[in-house]
Amino acid sequence: MAFSVLNRRPDSGLGNVRSSPGDPSRNVDWVLMFVQAALVVIGCLTVYSASRTKVPNAYLFATRQVVFVIISIGAMLFVMSLDYSWLRERAKFFYGLSLVSLALIFLLAKVSNGAQLSFSVGPINIQPAEFAKVFVLLALAGFLSEDSSDSVSYERFVGGLWLGGIPVVLIILQPDLGSASVLVALMMGLLLVAGARAMYIAMITVLAISTVIIAFITRLVNTYQTIRIRGWMNPDSTDVALQRYIFQGRNALRATATGGITGKGWLLGPITNAKSDIPVQWADFPFSAIAEQFGLIGCSVLIALFGIALFRIWRIAHLSRDLLGTYICAGVFSMLLWQIFQNIAMTLGLMPITGLPMPFISYGGSGMLTYFVLFGLVQSVHMRRMR
Amino acid sequence: MAVDKRAARLGALALVAVILLGSIGARLWFLQTVKRETFQQQVSVSKTRTQLLVPERGRIFDALGRVLADNRRVLTVTVDRSIIRRTSNRTELFTRLSGLLGVSVQEMELRFQSGRYSNFLPLPLREDVPEDVVLQIESRSEDFPGVRGDEDWSRVYPYAPLASHVIGYLGLILDTQVAQYKELGYLNNEVVGQFGVEKSMEATLHGTWGKVVYEVDSTNHVVREISRVEPVAGKDIQLTIDLTIQQYAEQALQTELRLQRETTDVTHMARNPTDKLGNKKFTGEAFVLDANGNEYLPYSAPAGSVVVMDHETGQVIAMASYPNFDNRWFNAGISGAKFKQLFPNDKAHPDKSILVNRAIQGQYNLGSTFKPFVAYAAMITGIITPIEIYVDKGSYKLETIDRSICNTGVRCEYFNATNPNTGRPSSYGPVSVESALAISSDAFFYRLGELTFKAGRSLLQDQVRKFGFGTDSGIELPFEFGGRVPDTELKKKLVAQGKLAKGEVPRLLVGDNVQTAIGQGLLAASPLQLANAYATLANGGFLNKPHIVRAVYQGGVPESSPGQVDLAKGVVLAAYDKADLVEQIDLPPAVSDPIVQGLKRVVTGRGVRYPPTFYHATTGETLFRNYPYNKLTIAGKTGTAQGFASKPWNDSSAFAAFSTNPLKPYTVVAYLEKAGYGSKAAAPVVKCMFEALSGAVRLDAVAPSDPLDVTSQVAAEPAVLASTNCLQNPYDPVRD
Repeated sequence: MAFSVLNRRPDSGLGNVRSSPGDPSRNVDWVLMFVQAALVVIGCLTVYSASRTKVPNAYLFATRQVVFVIISIGAMLFVMSLDYSWLRERAKFFYGLSLVSLALIFLLAKVSNGAQLSFSVGPINIQPAEFAKVFVLLALAGFLSEDSSDSVSYERFVGGLWLGGIPVVLIILQPDLGSASVLVALMMGLLLVAGARAMYIAMITVLAISTVIIAFITRLVNTYQTIRIRGWMNPDSTDVALQRYIFQGRNALRATATGGITGKGWLLGPITNAKSDIPVQWADFPFSAIAEQFGLIGCSVLIALFGIALFRIWRIAHLSRDLLGTYICAGVFSMLLWQIFQNIAMTLGLMPITGLPMPFISYGGSGMLTYFVLFGLVQSVHMRRMR
Repeated sequence: MAVDKRAARLGALALVAVILLGSIGARLWFLQTVKRETFQQQVSVSKTRTQLLVPERGRIFDALGRVLADNRRVLTVTVDRSIIRRTSNRTELFTRLSGLLGVSVQEMELRFQSGRYSNFLPLPLREDVPEDVVLQIESRSEDFPGVRGDEDWSRVYPYAPLASHVIGYLGLILDTQVAQYKELGYLNNEVVGQFGVEKSMEATLHGTWGKVVYEVDSTNHVVREISRVEPVAGKDIQLTIDLTIQQYAEQALQTELRLQRETTDVTHMARNPTDKLGNKKFTGEAFVLDANGNEYLPYSAPAGSVVVMDHETGQVIAMASYPNFDNRWFNAGISGAKFKQLFPNDKAHPDKSILVNRAIQGQYNLGSTFKPFVAYAAMITGIITPIEIYVDKGSYKLETIDRSICNTGVRCEYFNATNPNTGRPSSYGPVSVESALAISSDAFFYRLGELTFKAGRSLLQDQVRKFGFGTDSGIELPFEFGGRVPDTELKKKLVAQGKLAKGEVPRLLVGDNVQTAIGQGLLAASPLQLANAYATLANGGFLNKPHIVRAVYQGGVPESSPGQVDLAKGVVLAAYDKADLVEQIDLPPAVSDPIVQGLKRVVTGRGVRYPPTFYHATTGETLFRNYPYNKLTIAGKTGTAQGFASKPWNDSSAFAAFSTNPLKPYTVVAYLEKAGYGSKAAAPVVKCMFEALSGAVRLDAVAPSDPLDVTSQVAAEPAVLASTNCLQNPYDPVRD
């Protein structure tokens, strides 16, 4: 049962009578799957385009990205083969693991006296904040779905706040404001769908904002985070400390705008294909590369693909057999939406620069794996929507 | 019911999505259509950046094409001034760069504050930065805005310290030179030649700056090149110096000075004279006693110089000066304190000064080496005939001054040098010009001093000036001393300046002329002037302009092997290898023969017998007894310049000689300060030089020197002669 997707037997001449229309393997959302595949392909090409002139080996990042994708496909198939309610039962364990690793990395950062976002296990960098997205989602969705009522009680709201709040604070302390904001988006989306009152949502907003402010005031957040925000607010400053982010942001914006409607052409971006105009473009600003090289048309295609993906996830939330499935989809929807918005908006200069990657497009193994697992969960909900 | 509510909430979520994506879409559309042009203009706005391209400085070769001054390409890290105008930015940027460049923040700040660097050009933060550091900086331009590596040249002297006084060194433009170099289009922080040929030939060596104008975008990245003027490399210079002979000259000079300084043998020291009663003349020195109770003091022998010339062409083949220095110190990046320690500037001890090329800057009494020119003056004007005999009885009494005046204390009698063995002035009996030169009779020349004075107040002066005395030679070296020939004008000037003793009158007296006649008094010349005067004597009366630059080549003469250029492949722009005649002097054989003959006798002997039972050897006779005369015939003259208070240990030693073989037309002069009388210190050095020039001794091959040891405590490592045989005098030297 567990690997039925992989073990599906060929149809006999009489039709495959063994599998009913409700069999999970017959209910993969292929539209979502194709959209995801398209995004991944675009992502690998963008990573190649954005990094080839900036590193000695032009294919280094693109090759690694392909390897990440292959690994992530395996993980996704595994998740799809599992019933999400089976995962929900183990959510407590995973959630605990998440908290421990986040706490550990926070302590490590204190010891080494610097920002630390990842563990190095041999050649692999593991970012606990990325995986926390999956486990917090499962824990929170499971917790909210225990109460099958129509609205969220105060107790459940406070419980949810604790469940989500602890990892958020740990991540803010890392400090990784970007990842923390994704978790906040997750909490807000879930609580909204679960029927929390508007006041609760407002409370979360106030809490999140005040946490950030407190973190800044007490200097728990190190200076480079504040520099990013200062750079965003003062784009014409000549302060040397801000130059890196001003420079990065200004060039990304210019690249995007000068792309025009049709773009400058593949690998022909004067800014995004230059030697070092936008640092770490392949991870932080892949959108600027697409915008400059393919223009408004290319951007529209990309946003449309994300739009379709969002719509399909939203649809699956509707179709889900149970509340847990709905909540999982709503959570994925919220996180995906927020991450797309934040990444594009920072490229367009609407938001301060955070290290938040664009799902499926940005270079990075942890982020890629996380979104494949999240989409695997969504597929799992869709595959098991018929009782 | 519940499902409917859920649907409504999901609808709310969808609404959020639509709003967020919609706002992005709107902004994107606005940027990529409406604002596109504005941004495009920002990106491609025509900003230009001008970068100067430094020309390669001309190289300096020796006569055989060995590269004595070369260039090494280096990278200099500079920062755009607009970036560091604000103090906070500057501190931040300097802090980031400090570790990478290995320069402290304070040091960079000092550079910023000092007015040394142009305000319109990027500020250089460190020179000679390794390439990987520059790459690291340039690849992280977002962390180091406005910082970049510029190509520059660094001067190298492969054979330092050989010929360092001739080659010279580079230094920053001094405050006093700023205006002059600014006019020539130099940058304030350029290094220019400050000594030697580097200075005198600065305009030739420098080359012209190139300029490249780039179009840059607003991020200061180069978009394209607008115009480019390539720099023109400086011209290469070939010296007349033969480095092998130069090396030998330095070795001989330094070895002889050291031997004189460090000797423990009293015969190599100066004896404290005793008067008739046996009293010692001077007291208060750390004397060494011999068995007979005579007092001796070693010579301090602190300095000296050697000039080797080709007297047919006027080319200087070697020019050594001591104390010498390693010209690599000037770009070794040493501290001011270290520099002061290496190059002490002690006004009280001018004989210790290092940055002086004594061969052209030395202001020396010539002693007896001047006598041939006095003999010439007297003979050419017919005041005496070559065969005229004068009886030298050890002193000369002036005839033009009345006895009554002499009795009032005016000096009327001049004595020959005291013979240390008898304690009385030597007397040589009947002497002619020839024998007077051979045994260096002072009395004979005192008389010529008076006779020429009687015949005309500037007769002697006019005649000796024909040999170049009193005028700088115009050699391609800076700071040349022009020399002094004492005449009324000079005395007037010196009295007016208060430089002479009280009671001196502002006009030339007969006593001045008498002193001049033996090369003492106010007469002064540099060793190069002396050499050029002897060269004129040697080549039959052609006063040539001495040269140290043999040719100027178009920059980039190709190398045949590392450190050796193929001169035949170079393009000669100017050559000075032919004699550069200044004046032809009337030098008939009747006049020149007795002089040259006398100078030959100085070296080979036959002295005089007076009284007939006593043989006076000539001044060089014993020293040159083991000289390979069959290989190269020479003629020369010793000289002893009396120093401060006429103390014997302040005697400076001079020797000038020339070859009489037209195939090897060399003239050599050595002048060793406070090192003994003429035949004692300078003559051995000249003898060594002629043995070398004749091919009798094998010279050490020149080899590129080891890297400069910056921990060294001396300005230059000493040069040592492999064999001191040629310096030795197995016989008793004769005082002139």
